[in-house]
Amino acid sequence: MRIGARQVAVVAVLVLLATGCGKDGTSAADSEIVIGASIPLSGPLAGFGSFQRWGYQHAVDQVNQAGGLRVGDSRRNVRLILLDDKTDPNTTSSNTDTLISRNKAAALLGSCTPSLVVAGAVVADRNRVPMVTGCAPLQAFKSVKRWQYVWDVFFDEPDLAEAPFKTLQGAGVRTNNKVAIVHDNGPDGAVVGGQLWPMLAERYGYTVVSKQSFPVDNTQFNSLISNAKATGADVFLIDAVTPQAVTIRKQMASAGYNPQVIVAEKGAEPVQFAQALGNLADGVIVGGYWDSSFPYPGAAQLRQAFERETKQTYSQHIADSYAAAQILLDAIGAAGSTDATKINDAIGRTDKTYVVGPVKFDDQHTSKLPIAELQWQGGQTKVVWPNERKTGNLLFPAS
Amino acid sequence: MHLPGGHTLVTALVSGALLGGLFAVTALGLSLALGVMRLINLVHGELVILGAYLGYVLLSELGLDPLVGLLVVAPALALVAYPLHRGLLLPLVGKGQEAPLLTTFGLAVIGQNLFIQLFHADTRSLSRSYATAPIGLGGYEVPAIYAISFAVALVVVGSVHLLVQRTGVGREIRAASEDPGAAAVLGVDIGRVYARTYALGAACAGVGGVLVGLAFAFMPTTGTGYLLTGFAVVVLGGLGSVLGTLIGGIGLGVIESVGGAVFGDGYRDFIGLVVFLAFLALRPQGVLGRAER
Repeated sequence: MRIGARQVAVVAVLVLLATGCGKDGTSAADSEIVIGASIPLSGPLAGFGSFQRWGYQHAVDQVNQAGGLRVGDSRRNVRLILLDDKTDPNTTSSNTDTLISRNKAAALLGSCTPSLVVAGAVVADRNRVPMVTGCAPLQAFKSVKRWQYVWDVFFDEPDLAEAPFKTLQGAGVRTNNKVAIVHDNGPDGAVVGGQLWPMLAERYGYTVVSKQSFPVDNTQFNSLISNAKATGADVFLIDAVTPQAVTIRKQMASAGYNPQVIVAEKGAEPVQFAQALGNLADGVIVGGYWDSSFPYPGAAQLRQAFERETKQTYSQHIADSYAAAQILLDAIGAAGSTDATKINDAIGRTDKTYVVGPVKFDDQHTSKLPIAELQWQGGQTKVVWPNERKTGNLLFPAS
Repeated sequence: MHLPGGHTLVTALVSGALLGGLFAVTALGLSLALGVMRLINLVHGELVILGAYLGYVLLSELGLDPLVGLLVVAPALALVAYPLHRGLLLPLVGKGQEAPLLTTFGLAVIGQNLFIQLFHADTRSLSRSYATAPIGLGGYEVPAIYAISFAVALVVVGSVHLLVQRTGVGREIRAASEDPGAAAVLGVDIGRVYARTYALGAACAGVGGVLVGLAFAFMPTTGTGYLLTGFAVVVLGGLGSVLGTLIGGIGLGVIESVGGAVFGDGYRDFIGLVVFLAFLALRPQGVLGRAER
């Protein structure tokens, strides 16, 4: 077989290219650590995703501005790659695959709400890439599987579900003790609205006069509201994402349904809820796990930084996302390596107070955040329960 | 499933019929495109939501009430749609269904991404006191915005009907719809007629979008739902039939509303789609499809 000059040249060029590519790849891997996250930057949960993006990026920027993350003997910059999952679990899965296989992410941060977080977490766990997430209530997270490489810092659904009743009890307000519940049939909606609220209502002396569910993409709620109104319930409990929560609140008003207490879990969290509704948001209660007034290191500064940079009102989601990123970065530093097992072990050893409070993982890979109850008042949220953290008094009746 | 009381049922019936007006306005442009141009306009939902965003900008930046803003939104949508059709869709006329279908699909994707870039992905709503007030109609309390939407629908549908039936422009539209080849031989500029029809449909979509923004919440991806609703309305009312669109809208509103009252709100869309499929199978020309065409 004869090998001509042209073939030799081609082989030489290929070898050079391969060598060059290999050298570049090694260099990039040495110089920076890649962290990835697939988050909802569009779709119904975009209101959460925008805050997550800021929280994750802020933590990474702080590390890079300080000269990089100390890993072993060297300092290395961190590169954060964010992909939009469009509020679609299938996209979260494929994005997570991309972050691992193409972007070579050393570790991952989570999306938001159980369906999206779990979609990405399953991929991370299968590939043995460490992931730290917030934004996934703990019961829903734990019910999926025995996690090996995924860690969750968030609130526990029973705490969240009980908070409205404790708030009303603590404020000593009087209602007709009738409760109407509407909830989406997503994983956390079904747990909080479908199971926990009815059980807790009975325990606190209320009567559940109406309990109705709807699909997570429902757009009209006239019949649900009409039924709730017909029962005369003074306490109206809603578990829905933001677009639905906005429409429900509008349709309540246009149906002339004015209960004394309105709780809108999930959907009333982001400031977009209040911006879309104006005065109608006033009085609506939502569970919260963070406020800038909480006595944790950096809480007030985090809010200031967010509002200074974005000119927007802050949301508690800046805190759990910022804390999740800090926990992961601290673990990489503690591991002294980008080895997945070492990072994972270091996450498991976390025992430190972050901006969301003390974080220490249990054997099910969860760390619980205490719940507070927030209420929209004049376009801002006020902490109305527990008493030791109150920043405002409960607005009662709500409407 | 539970059978609601008579009062609840009648309330659902009345509010469903009124909501049907909103459905009709949001679907009218789709019906015109299908009936006149045989164009399955997959970007129609985004035109609806563009109307909602324009209403939002006029309200938040200029303080213009959305109902007054309709006078700006409708012509603005027509001005956007006319060159869009002339530039992108007209060259595809006569080249099969696939090319315009894919083009409008592409435009829909571009539209959604433009909305995200311009307005972010946040949930928006047009917040006005009348949009959340109840009114009494013969002893039944219904959302005022539904009644307002119905009144706007009567004006819009009535105007478009008169335009199509009583004017020279309408005569050209009808001619182009019946037999574009023959109309062209008789001197009708088919391209111009199509573009005008498309612009007219977009203007109606914009009006519908403002009403959607007042009655509900919207975001960049909301248009897809109104595209599906629009298809159901068009099939119920009859392809290209202006008055049929109103009847289809009212029909769908009543079916979904009463269905929601009986089976729960979660079954609204399901019931609407079942009726949509049943009509496709049993009377594909819709209620007025044959009569008015």
